[in-house]
Amino acid sequence: MMLSEESVKAIKERAGRYPHRKSAILPALTIACRQLGYVDETVYREISKIIRIPMVEVAEAATFYTMFPKAPRGKYLIQVCHNISCALLGADSLIGYLEQKLGITKGETTPDDLFTLISVECLGSCATAPMMQINEDYYENLTRQKVDDILQDLRSKA
Amino acid sequence: MKEVIKAIGNVFISMPKGLFVTFKHLFIKPVTLDYPKQKNPMSPRYRGKHYLERYDDGTERCVCCGLCAAACPADAIYMEPDETEKGERCAKVYEINLLRCIFCGFCEEACPEEAIFLGQEYEFSAGDRDSFIWTKEEMLVQHPRKDNPLKRVIRRVRKVYGVTDKVK
Amino acid sequence: MQGKVGVFVSIGIVMAEQVKKEQAVSGVPMVTATIDGREVTVPKGTTVLEAAREMGIHIPTFCWHPKLKSVGACRMCYVEIERMPKLQVSCATEVMEGMVIQTASEQVLQGRKAVIEFILLNHPLDCPTCDKGGECDLQNHTFAHAVDDSRYSFKKARYTDGTDGTTFDDKRLGPEIVLNRNRCILCYKCVRANKEAFGEYDLGVYERGNIAEINSAPGHEVDNPFSGNLVEICPVGALTNSDWRYKIRVWLTQTTSSICNMTSSGSNILFYKEKNHNKIYRVTSRMNDSIDDGWLPDVSRYGYQIATTEERLKTPLIKKDGKQVEATWDEAMTVIHNRFTEIAEKKGKVCLGGLASPYLDNDSLHSFNKLFRTVFKSNNIDFRSDYRMLPEGADSPYEMLVDQPFTIADIDDSDLIISFGSDLIREHPNEYLRMRKAYNFKRAKVVSINPYAVKSADIAELEVIHSIGRAETVLNGICLAAMEMGLVNNQDLTGKIAPATTAEAASDAGVTEDDLKEVARAISSAKKISFICGEMVSRSIARDTIASALWNLYLLFGFKDKGQMAILPRYANSRGAGSLGLLPSPSDGLRNTLSGLWGCFPESDPNNTDAMLALMRKEEISGFFIIGANPLMLYPDRQFVTDGLERLDFLVACDLFETDTTELADVVLPLSSWAEYDGDYVNLEGKVQHARQAIKPLYQSKPAYEIITMVAEKFGAPLFESIEACRKEVDELLSMTHSTKFPSQFLEVKPCYEDAEEEYPTPLLICDDPHHCGHRTEKSQSLSNFVSEAYIEMSPEKAEKLAVKDGESVRVESPVGKIVVPVRISDCIDNNVVLIPRNFASTQVTSLLMRKRRLDRVKITKVDE
Repeated sequence: MMLSEESVKAIKERAGRYPHRKSAILPALTIACRQLGYVDETVYREISKIIRIPMVEVAEAATFYTMFPKAPRGKYLIQVCHNISCALLGADSLIGYLEQKLGITKGETTPDDLFTLISVECLGSCATAPMMQINEDYYENLTRQKVDDILQDLRSKA
Repeated sequence: MKEVIKAIGNVFISMPKGLFVTFKHLFIKPVTLDYPKQKNPMSPRYRGKHYLERYDDGTERCVCCGLCAAACPADAIYMEPDETEKGERCAKVYEINLLRCIFCGFCEEACPEEAIFLGQEYEFSAGDRDSFIWTKEEMLVQHPRKDNPLKRVIRRVRKVYGVTDKVK
Repeated sequence: MQGKVGVFVSIGIVMAEQVKKEQAVSGVPMVTATIDGREVTVPKGTTVLEAAREMGIHIPTFCWHPKLKSVGACRMCYVEIERMPKLQVSCATEVMEGMVIQTASEQVLQGRKAVIEFILLNHPLDCPTCDKGGECDLQNHTFAHAVDDSRYSFKKARYTDGTDGTTFDDKRLGPEIVLNRNRCILCYKCVRANKEAFGEYDLGVYERGNIAEINSAPGHEVDNPFSGNLVEICPVGALTNSDWRYKIRVWLTQTTSSICNMTSSGSNILFYKEKNHNKIYRVTSRMNDSIDDGWLPDVSRYGYQIATTEERLKTPLIKKDGKQVEATWDEAMTVIHNRFTEIAEKKGKVCLGGLASPYLDNDSLHSFNKLFRTVFKSNNIDFRSDYRMLPEGADSPYEMLVDQPFTIADIDDSDLIISFGSDLIREHPNEYLRMRKAYNFKRAKVVSINPYAVKSADIAELEVIHSIGRAETVLNGICLAAMEMGLVNNQDLTGKIAPATTAEAASDAGVTEDDLKEVARAISSAKKISFICGEMVSRSIARDTIASALWNLYLLFGFKDKGQMAILPRYANSRGAGSLGLLPSPSDGLRNTLSGLWGCFPESDPNNTDAMLALMRKEEISGFFIIGANPLMLYPDRQFVTDGLERLDFLVACDLFETDTTELADVVLPLSSWAEYDGDYVNLEGKVQHARQAIKPLYQSKPAYEIITMVAEKFGAPLFESIEACRKEVDELLSMTHSTKFPSQFLEVKPCYEDAEEEYPTPLLICDDPHHCGHRTEKSQSLSNFVSEAYIEMSPEKAEKLAVKDGESVRVESPVGKIVVPVRISDCIDNNVVLIPRNFASTQVTSLLMRKRRLDRVKITKVDE
C-alpha cells in the first residue's frame, strides 16, 4: 500500500459523506496527492478499492485534472504563465532562460529534485506580466536578474 | 501493232521508271521501324502495362485499399490485403488480368497512394492465358521511378484537395 | 378513390388521437411541435432527434446511439429552433410544446459543415488503409456536406504506439480490438456503451481538451464479453477488430441476414461474405428491439469462425482396423445401413438410440425424430447431452417451468428482475443486457439469488448468496417470510415445505433472515416481475425439487398476473427441440399430433440420454446415432459416457470437427454449420426465426437434414417428399395450441441436502466461459484468442489459503478423477465455490463429475514445480 493508514481513513471518511460513491474520487485524489505529492496507476487502484468504484473512473478523473501531478515533482514547482500578456512581455524567453539556468526542459525536474518547470495558462496576474507561480506564491514583473535572485534564494532555503 | 508498241514501251520506259523509285528509296531514310530491334518512343501519356511504385526508402506504396479495383470498369483487378510485421496494411495478392484490362487508366487516377501507374511497355503477348495474369511481384518496380510526368499531375491535383504526400 | 384516401386519413387521425389519449391516460403528457413544417405530437421527454427520426427526417449523428443516453459530444445533429439564439444539438434537446424546428436550414447546414471541418482538423484521412472505408459515418457525412477543403495549415497531431519502440499508430487494446487514436473523433460512444450498456470498466477517456484520448484502463485489456460491439458502433475506423482488419473492403461483400446459433435468444445477425468466395468475413448485429437491442455478445459475433475454421471435418470417415479412414458418402451410408440392419436383426430395433444437438434447426430435429420413431421404431431419442439424471414425463414441475412463456422485451419494463441460479452473463448475455437496460433507464430493482457472487450482480440492489445446493431452501424461506410478515393471505403452503420457519430456512441456506424478508417484500410490492432461472437449476439433479419450490413461489405471489417466470433454455434451439417432441416421452398432445402425422408412434420404453447411456453399459443399446452433440465432453460424468459409448457395436457421429465423441465413432460424418443452410430455430421465447444460408456447405459436409434423409432413404423409407413437406409438419407442430400447464395447488418441497465430505471440501460448479458456448466455440480463432484454455476461477481468499497466485497450476481431485488447471483469481467468485469452464476439450473437466451427485466436490492442491 502506498497510501498511509491516515490517508485511507481520511478517504473513507470523505466517501461516507456523498450520496454516490463516485463523488468521492476528487477528494480521495486530493488526499493521495497531499500525502504522496503525485498520483499514478497504483494509487488509482488503491483508491478504487477503498471507495469501491471501477479503477477507470479514478484514472479518468485524475488525468482530466492537471492539478494532480502524474509523476513525482521537485520541491518547488515553477509555473510560468505563457498566455497572451506574459507572452507579449517575453514569457517565452523567460522560460528559455529558466531552462538554461536549471539545465532542464519544460516539464522536467532537476536532478536534485528541487525544481520542476512547467508552463501554464493564465494565472490572472496580467497587470504584472511576465509572472510565475512557485508553489503557492506569485513572483511578478520578472526580469532575468529577478529570476536569478529568486532561484538563489530558494536554493539557499532548501 | 499499236498494242505491241505499247507493251514494249511499258517494259523499257515504265519499268525503269518504277525501278528508279525503288532505287531512290534505297537512299531515303525508311519511315517504318525495324520493329523488334528498333522501337518507337511512346507518347508520355501512353497507357501501357501497369507497374507498382515504391517509396523512396523502398517500401511499397500500395496499401491494397481496393479503390483501383472499385474504379476498374473491366473488373480486371483482384487483391487481398495483409498486415506487415509493423502492423501496416499491405497487399498480399495483387493481380491484374491483362486480358480483361482495357487500359483506361482509371486505376491510376483512383489510386490515393500513387502506387499504380500505366507504364510505357506494350509487349506482353504470351502463348497461354495464365501468363496474362500479372502478379504483384511482376509489377512491382525495383527502384522508384521519378520521371513519370503523370505523377506530378496527380500530386498537383491532390494538393488542391489538401492531401500531402505521406511522410515516411 | 378519393373517398378511400379520405377514409384512410380519417382512420389515421382517429388512431393518432387514440394513441394520444392512451398516452395521456398512462400518465405521460404529450407535447406538439413543428419539425420542418410538419406537426408532430410526442410524449414529453422525447428528444428532437428521436421525434424527427420518427417522422422519417434524417439528422446526421456521430455520438448518438438509440440504446444509449445522449451526451451531445459530436455536435453533428445541430438543428435550428425558433426563439433560440444558437443552433441546438437535437439529441440532447427535448421537444417542448410549440417548438418550431428546422433540421436542414442554411444555418444548420453551415453549422454541421463547420463541425465536420473541426473533426477533420486532426483526422489523418488515411481512408485507403482504414477498414471502415466504405461504411464510415465520417466519410459519408463529409461527402454529404461537401467538405472538400481544409483551412488548417499546421501539422496534424499524431498518436503513435510507443510501447514497443515502433512509431506505428495502432495500439492493440485487447485480444480482438485494435485502436487507432488518430482516427478517433472522441464521440465517446464506445466508452459509454461499455460502461452503461455492458457494465464493463476496461475502457476510458483520459486527459482532456485536444489531447483527450480513448484507451484501455491502466494495466487492463479490453476483453469483456461484449467488446465486439465497441468496434461495431465506432462511427469511424478508430476501433477495428482482428477478424475483419485488413481482410476485405466492405463494398466487395454481400450480406445475408441470419440469426446467431450461440445464444438461446437467437440474436439477429448479418453475415458478410464475398461475392466470389465461399467465405464469411464477419458478423455484425441486425437490430431487433424485441430480441437483442442491437448488441451482440462476442460469442455470437465471432462464433461464425467455427464454420470457417480449417479444422472442419472434410470427408466422411469410416473406422477400418481401429483407424478412421476417409471415405465417400455412399460408402458411409452403406456401412450405416448394413450395421444398423445387422444390429436390429440381431437384437431388435429398440436397441438403437439417437442423440441430437439442440444447435440444429427444426427440419433436422424433426426429421431425426421421424427417422427414429418411424424407421427405427424406437423411443430412445433425446437432445439433452449435458444434464445429469433427466426427469421423465412432460408433467414434472421442471418441464412445466421450462415450458412457461417468456418475453425478452418484457424485461425492459419490469420493475423487479430476479436472476435465480443463473450467471446471466455466461448463459444469457442478451437478457443480461436487457436487465442492465431496465436498471439504467427504468431504475428497475435487480435481485440476484445465486450460490456465488456473479458478475451480473454489480447492479443488484439485493444480492443473496446462499450455500451451494440449498436453492430450494432459499425459495421456501422467501415464501415463509412472506407468510410470516402477512404479505400474502394464502396459508395453504404451511406444512408442505420444510423447514417451518424463516429463521430456520435462513440458517439452513446460509443467508440472513433480513435478506429473505427483503426479497419477499420486493416481490410482493413489485408490479411487474421477470424471474429468470438458469442452468444452475436445469443442471442440478434436484431440478424437480427446486422447480416445485419455484412453483410455490409462483402461486403464492400470484405471478400469473404480474410477471413472468421461466427456466431459460441454454441452446439455440432447445425450445424448438422440446416443442417438436424430440424427447423420449413427449406430452400427450404432441404424441397424438405426431402419430397423426406419421400414422404410427412406437410403443417401446422411452429412454432419455441418461437411461440410454445406462442401457449401453448393459449392452441393451448397441447402435447409436449422434448428430451434432458431444456427450463425452459435456455429460457430467465422463467415465459413464466412455463406458457406454465404448461398449456400443456401432456408433455414428456427425459434427463439424473431430471431437472426443467422433474419435470413438465407427462412422464420422461431416456436418454443415448453421451458416451453410436455411433453417428455422425457436428461441427461448418460442419465437421461430429463420437463419438464411450464407455460404454453400464447405468441403464435403452436408446439412443435418440431408444426412438424416439420406439414411432414411438407404433404409428404403424416405421420410418426406421434399423439405417443404417436412416444414409443413414442423409448422403444424409449432402452431399446436400450446396450453401452458400450471400446478393447481402448492407442491411439497422437502429439501434434499448432500452432506459435505471431509476429504473433498470445495464445491465445484461447471459453467460456460463468457466467451464460449458448448463444445464448438473452442475452434473459433477469435474466441480462443480471448480464452483458449480452461482455468479454475476462485476468490482471492481461497487462493491465499491455497498459497497460489494467478496463473499458477493446481491439481483438482474428485473421487473419480483429477485434472490440472491454472488458477484465475476473480473478485466475483465467493462463498468457497470454484468454477471451471467446460468448453475446452483438452481439460476433460467432466471426468471430475459423478452423475448421481447433487454437488460436485473437489480437493484442490497446489502443484509443486
